[in-house]
Amino acid sequence: MTDRDPVTPDDDADALAAEFVLGVLPMSERVIAAARAKADPAFGARVVAWENRLAQINDGFEPIPAPNVLTAIEARLFPKAAKPKRGLRWGFLGGALSAALLAVVVMISDTGPQTGPMLTATLTEAAQPLSFAARFDQDAKTLTLIRTAGTPPAAGQDLQLWVIGAEGTPSSLGLVRDAEITVSAPMLAAGLILAVSLEPEGGSPTGLPTGPVLMTGVLTEG
Amino acid sequence: MSDDRVADLIVAVSASDRAAFREVYAATSSKLFGTLLRILGTRSEAEDALQEVYTRLWLNARRFDPAKGAGMTWLIAVARNHAIDRLRARPDARMSDDEDALDNVADDAPGAENRLLALGDARRIVDCFGTLEPDRALAIKAAYLQGRSYQALAERFDVPVNTMRTWLRRSLLKLRECMDA
Repeated sequence: MTDRDPVTPDDDADALAAEFVLGVLPMSERVIAAARAKADPAFGARVVAWENRLAQINDGFEPIPAPNVLTAIEARLFPKAAKPKRGLRWGFLGGALSAALLAVVVMISDTGPQTGPMLTATLTEAAQPLSFAARFDQDAKTLTLIRTAGTPPAAGQDLQLWVIGAEGTPSSLGLVRDAEITVSAPMLAAGLILAVSLEPEGGSPTGLPTGPVLMTGVLTEG
Repeated sequence: MSDDRVADLIVAVSASDRAAFREVYAATSSKLFGTLLRILGTRSEAEDALQEVYTRLWLNARRFDPAKGAGMTWLIAVARNHAIDRLRARPDARMSDDEDALDNVADDAPGAENRLLALGDARRIVDCFGTLEPDRALAIKAAYLQGRSYQALAERFDVPVNTMRTWLRRSLLKLRECMDA
């Protein structure tokens, strides 16, 4: 090795991939490197190669019995008791069947004259400067999302809002480009999870989150 | 079925298999909790992070490619990424703890390396760390195991951030050369 910095483009990209995997970059550079790993397959392959090389240090992480958070995680991912109005128990139904019924059940409950309470969610993440408040108007079937802290992402990136369905499948509710947005969201119900992910400009090209999920929140009555 | 049970389970989770999700939690949560606690430092934050990591596993399992690496390697990468995102987004409140924490890495190193030595695979990285200057090998381990930033490492070793970055980038490429040889 010479005393000079690596100068070939390959070494430069590989050193950046290593820095990203190691985790030493400041947040601004880290977010850009994470986006590049998703968007640029060659760089993504470098990241995986470094994950595999450095995985040999993983024995330095000693296993410690985890608190049992499985129940809480499952309650978050698989809400089932949240729509008791018609006494249906979606949780007992199979995956695809349940998803297909979701639309039907929502339509049925639409026919009632009920005026539901407002559903709200707070989307935060301990480590995230960004936070959002969400409010779902059950009569108008519209969701309003308000940015309560933080700033929009850098040029070339968009925030995208998702609802995580009863089977854990995310559906896009649109891009979050303003401090306040209102979207039509007939599928929402109490107990469902809202999530905001960081995506390339224009939103996820795949229809599913491709960037990091920055924060999540659960829709609750009140 | 492969001989990587965790990889098989993650693939099943990507097909929305809830039983596989429970099984992968049972098989891996201790390791991931140990990883998160080591980096984040408090049980309460590690517990929050653990929930988030398994939520991401459910949502993102389809991104796992068993041809590219082991299941446990991928899960630990997801956990480390999330823990480090949390650290980098923190105000600098915990900076003052860094020195103690880094000393702990130094103290831990023999134990950790003995564990590494017990595995054939890890022998190569232990040998390759031996080719680096000891301070720089220690800095890489502190970054990996405890999520130390360039800023924190520069303060600990009392050099400018850019110098630390140049050292570490060079050392990482040297490590790569040794490991890929």
